[in-house]
Amino acid sequence: MDELILKLKGEIIEVLNLEDLQPEDIADDAPLFGEGLGLDSIDALELIVLLEKNYGIKLTDPAQGREIFQSIRVLADYIQANRKK
Amino acid sequence: MKNFLITGAGIISAIGNNKQETLAALLEQRSGIAPLRYLKTSHTEFPVGEVKLTNEEMRQLLDIPETEVTTRTSLMGMLAVREALRHCGLDPQTPQNVAEMTELRIALISGTTVGGMDKTELYYLDFFEDNTKDAYIATHDCGSSTEMIADYFGIFSLVETISTACSSAANAIMLGAQLIRDGRADVVVAGGSESLTKFHLNGFNSLMILDREPCKPLDAHRAGLNLGEGAAYIVLESEEVFNRRLRVKPAMTPLKPLARLSGYANTCDAFHQTASSSDGEGAYLAMTKALAVANLQPEDIDYINAHGTGTGNNDLSEGIAIQRVFTNGVPPVSSTKSFTGHTTSAAGGLEAVISLLALQHDFIPANLNFSTPMPELSFTPYTACHCGLDPQSPKLHHVLSNSFGFGGNETTLIFSKV
Amino acid sequence: MNLYIKTYRHLINPSPMIDGKEYLTSVYRSLGIDYPKFFKMDNLSKLGFLASELIFKDDPSRFVPREDLAVIGFNRSASLEADTAYQATIQDNKNYFPSPAAFVYTLPNIVTGEIAIRNKFYGETSFYISEQFDAEQIFRTVNHAFQDKKTRSVLAAWIESFDGTQEVFMMLVETETSEIPFSIKQINKIMNN
Repeated sequence: MDELILKLKGEIIEVLNLEDLQPEDIADDAPLFGEGLGLDSIDALELIVLLEKNYGIKLTDPAQGREIFQSIRVLADYIQANRKK
Repeated sequence: MKNFLITGAGIISAIGNNKQETLAALLEQRSGIAPLRYLKTSHTEFPVGEVKLTNEEMRQLLDIPETEVTTRTSLMGMLAVREALRHCGLDPQTPQNVAEMTELRIALISGTTVGGMDKTELYYLDFFEDNTKDAYIATHDCGSSTEMIADYFGIFSLVETISTACSSAANAIMLGAQLIRDGRADVVVAGGSESLTKFHLNGFNSLMILDREPCKPLDAHRAGLNLGEGAAYIVLESEEVFNRRLRVKPAMTPLKPLARLSGYANTCDAFHQTASSSDGEGAYLAMTKALAVANLQPEDIDYINAHGTGTGNNDLSEGIAIQRVFTNGVPPVSSTKSFTGHTTSAAGGLEAVISLLALQHDFIPANLNFSTPMPELSFTPYTACHCGLDPQSPKLHHVLSNSFGFGGNETTLIFSKV
Repeated sequence: MNLYIKTYRHLINPSPMIDGKEYLTSVYRSLGIDYPKFFKMDNLSKLGFLASELIFKDDPSRFVPREDLAVIGFNRSASLEADTAYQATIQDNKNYFPSPAAFVYTLPNIVTGEIAIRNKFYGETSFYISEQFDAEQIFRTVNHAFQDKKTRSVLAAWIESFDGTQEVFMMLVETETSEIPFSIKQINKIMNN
């Protein structure tokens, strides 16, 4: 799990162009949206693409994302349970 | 403020190839949104508002040989501009008009964002293979579709292309008025043209804002927009120029202005690249400013043609902005995108012509597919349609039309009876 | 109406050998600002953003919302560079993942929006495409914007980013008298300097 969390942090930094952040700057339980990393609705959509591209998980409703993108840990748990690749 | 007469209009969209067909569809509440037929894509799950003509059929209507390089955006634009020019007595294909037209400074201002993307998609791989399709490289850019429309008529001394996403055509109309006000053009043909492409169908799909059913603007259960395509233009001129034209050519006397453009404004929502702010600040400012330019009070507006895309975000933001402006009661509101689909850069042109038809025939186009009020709003969209001899038919004096684009680009136009 | 160029900035990537993104990042770093959203922008928006930062960074009344300032962009290639980047995400059937973040920049006027968002400008924004740099068009369009009685300033820019070129020429035009008159001649002179 820790490995997946670290990998995810790297992927998120890359696809969301969080240029000034290092993986260690993102706390496992910190909220991704709102106060946390300051991500917006487009970032949420880009994370949905990431889930499909890297893990074969297809979300069709952006509202589902709200649950899954609570924190890196919640996201990693979801991927672990649902990944197809 | 100078009197901007609107003396001509032309339109082509999913609900008709001219004003008459458009009017009939609006009155009969016949939507043009249907399964994909003309655009070649695997995304057949999304209903769209396509113009019901192939490029070949449009070329024939325009007498353009097959050898000539055209794009769907330019062909639709030519058909709509031709209808607008014929309407105001300036069709260059009528020989007696030519002398008159050489004395007038006529401008074409067109909004588009897709431009020649349809052909680029079709021939992109051919560009690398050989040079048989290279002529379509030059037609890719937005400016080129306007130039092709202008070249077809050969009467325009000033040609400009505006690209501000979904408010492009409305901004073209606003610029047209400014050109007349500042004495830089005598007659302005302004509007926009945009064809459907895989490029933006995929893009809007990636934003997850496409409805798989016909769109339900201003409804609590709205699930996104349907894309559409089309072109629409209006002809603007000052009263002086129009009266002078009438004096020179008494045969034109049966022509009378459709309406006038009484107000316009463009503002910025300054909130997000694509999303609208929750208080609709940009939209609020655009409507307020346009009313001030028109010297009208909110109570004077008889009908609002909303931007009303059918997305969760737009309709809420716009609805709240409308409530903030119309504090003493919201006039009838409808989104005609439930008929045409969202024609993106052309939308402001289509909705200008639809607003003019509403003013001219004293009717309010219905907001189709509405069933459940939005809990956040105090008003519901207009769903009936009364017209003509119907005693319930409203009398319209002033119509307000909203067009909002990505980039927070917000435009309001107000049309008034002459 | 007599208009003046209060200030202007002209940024050009000095060499086609320097990657556009790298060049723009180096300018951003030199400004010493913290605006992470910069890195999400396409090159066109970055160019416009950087020029506007240079113009407004020392403005004492910065970030006070303004309804009286219009932002007007002009260029030749529209958003072609962003279009190409987005097209790459849908080109291959086997690797087909349309990118929402790339798609939102496939509109040239997003740059005017980005500048407005950063600075809280609520006035007019627009974008024009023309065959080439046209000082007369810029002069005319800026003058139109000033006919609106509410407009006190216009931020006008030629912003082009495509095929190895990154160039922005941005000027703040105002009614208040300053050293440089706003004229077609001056626009050309600064642009060609």
